[in-house]
Amino acid sequence: MTAPWLSAMTAPNTLVAAGGVAAVGFAAGVVGSLALLRKRPLVGDAAAHATLAGVAGGFLATGRRDLPTLLAGAFVAALAALGVLVLIRRFTRTRDDAATGIVIGVSFGLGIALVSGLPRWGLAGSGGLEQFLLGHAAAITGRDAAVLAGVSLAAVLVVAAAVKEITLVAFDAAFAAAGGWPVDWIDALVAALVAAMVVAGLPAVGAVLVTALVVIPPVAARLWTDRVAAMLMLAGLFGLVAAVVGTLVSATRPGLATGPLVVLSAATIFAVSLVVVPRRRQEGS
Amino acid sequence: MFFGFSKKVVSLLVAVLVAAAGCRAPEPRPFGKPRVLATTTVVADLVRQVAGDRAEVECLMAPGIDPHSYRPTPADADRLARADLVVASGLQLEGRLAALLERLGTRRPVLAVGDRLPRERLLPVTDDLFDPHVWFDAGLWSLCPPLVAEALAGIDPAGAPEYHARAAAHAAALATLDGAVRGRIATIPQQRRVLVTAHDAFRYFGRAYGIEVVGVQGTSTESEAGLHDVNRLVDLLVSRGIPAVFVETSVADRNVAALIEGARSRGQAVVIGGRLYSDSLGEPGSGADTLAAALTANVETIVAALHDGGR
Repeated sequence: MTAPWLSAMTAPNTLVAAGGVAAVGFAAGVVGSLALLRKRPLVGDAAAHATLAGVAGGFLATGRRDLPTLLAGAFVAALAALGVLVLIRRFTRTRDDAATGIVIGVSFGLGIALVSGLPRWGLAGSGGLEQFLLGHAAAITGRDAAVLAGVSLAAVLVVAAAVKEITLVAFDAAFAAAGGWPVDWIDALVAALVAAMVVAGLPAVGAVLVTALVVIPPVAARLWTDRVAAMLMLAGLFGLVAAVVGTLVSATRPGLATGPLVVLSAATIFAVSLVVVPRRRQEGS
Repeated sequence: MFFGFSKKVVSLLVAVLVAAAGCRAPEPRPFGKPRVLATTTVVADLVRQVAGDRAEVECLMAPGIDPHSYRPTPADADRLARADLVVASGLQLEGRLAALLERLGTRRPVLAVGDRLPRERLLPVTDDLFDPHVWFDAGLWSLCPPLVAEALAGIDPAGAPEYHARAAAHAAALATLDGAVRGRIATIPQQRRVLVTAHDAFRYFGRAYGIEVVGVQGTSTESEAGLHDVNRLVDLLVSRGIPAVFVETSVADRNVAALIEGARSRGQAVVIGGRLYSDSLGEPGSGADTLAAALTANVETIVAALHDGGR
């Protein structure tokens, strides 16, 4: 007779969810590191808050609510929000953080209006879309997990292929531009990668908390190393560990939501890093 | 000058006429017939059974709508305020409507049938909160028609004998249905008499008819099922050889898909036994647009899936 907490952690549904979330955690850490190096950690937040409107839009456009359809809708919405952000930045004198605030508020408001409105406007089958607000790891099936792992793998491969260019732009955009690099396109690529990982994080962690997956592990990894490759790997590892620990722990007791536990696990890694990494290193970085 | 003045007068006159046209007399009410507004489809059916043709019964929520998360609009407030009598399900079923109903109750007759049922026959959720899904216990629900008759007689005293007679007939029909349902459920093998649903709306049903009810979600659709709950359910399905689970017309079914997959990976074939009516009856013409028809449909769905599914 195994301990109940152990059998809860090794139950098929737990392992499927943990597998999917682990892949997302790893890729989100890697991709988030690039956004952090480019000093735009909140790109993910703007994208994340727009996803809810995209989930509703994906349902409205197709009438289907399988995970790939809804996530595709969320990705389109996230890209649209980032596009609007770029336009505001370029054509107005609005400060960056104010522009981000506008995009977050408006797109999130739209998402909440749609997700809460659709069921009561009598659209059959529109119930349950609000699961993407706070995430719902228990509903992840094997096929869903495979989709999440696929998206994560693709994102990591893109980073591996373009890491040199992205790093160059991140450290000295002016120099890269002078050298003929397409800085805007590389920035757009990073933003799209962040949007993709935010979307992949939705089913388990939800639109409100998913930003933490692309911000906290990179910040923690940054404390440990100055080398880009090491930081990417470490951030991915932290993200993966946070995802697995959060998911497994949430399976041990009723009433433990997976998304918040994943985020709290990531925060714990960050706190431990703050204590363990020598202060001299932290100040030098 | 004179010309200019007359132009002003004309435009003033036009303005007054337009304004007068705008404030028309209030919509005339059909004479004699009291207007009753029911909140949910279940309650609307109850009121229609008792009122017959004597009252005009409208339903606030359309079929398929989840009353737990229903948000009233200003138009709803208007409809509520224009009704002669409002009948609600009560026991906090209409979560977001409750405050509005309470305020309305100070000015107009409002009957919340669930709140008037004897406390000792209700299933508590917490100390002072009861499970609101009372209607699928036909025996318990048969206490409601007299309450409705009394409320209708309050706004239409001339119709009192008619209301009370129809209420008695409806209560008797519910009592007959109660016995029939009990008999049907008893045909399911004891071991498999477990109803797993996406939303725990069948506790009264389970208590009345001797079938264990296990919800994937809590009593309200707003509490989420975590991984722990899903694992526990997979264990139950596997250990008792339960061949079917049920989704409801008004609740999401992604949770159920994960549940079925988990059981399958441990060697227990589980199918979706069919859709059950829970917080909402079917569309008019669906064959489940009355409580009796919906309850019968549910019972046949359950019996078919649990009885034959395992073979």
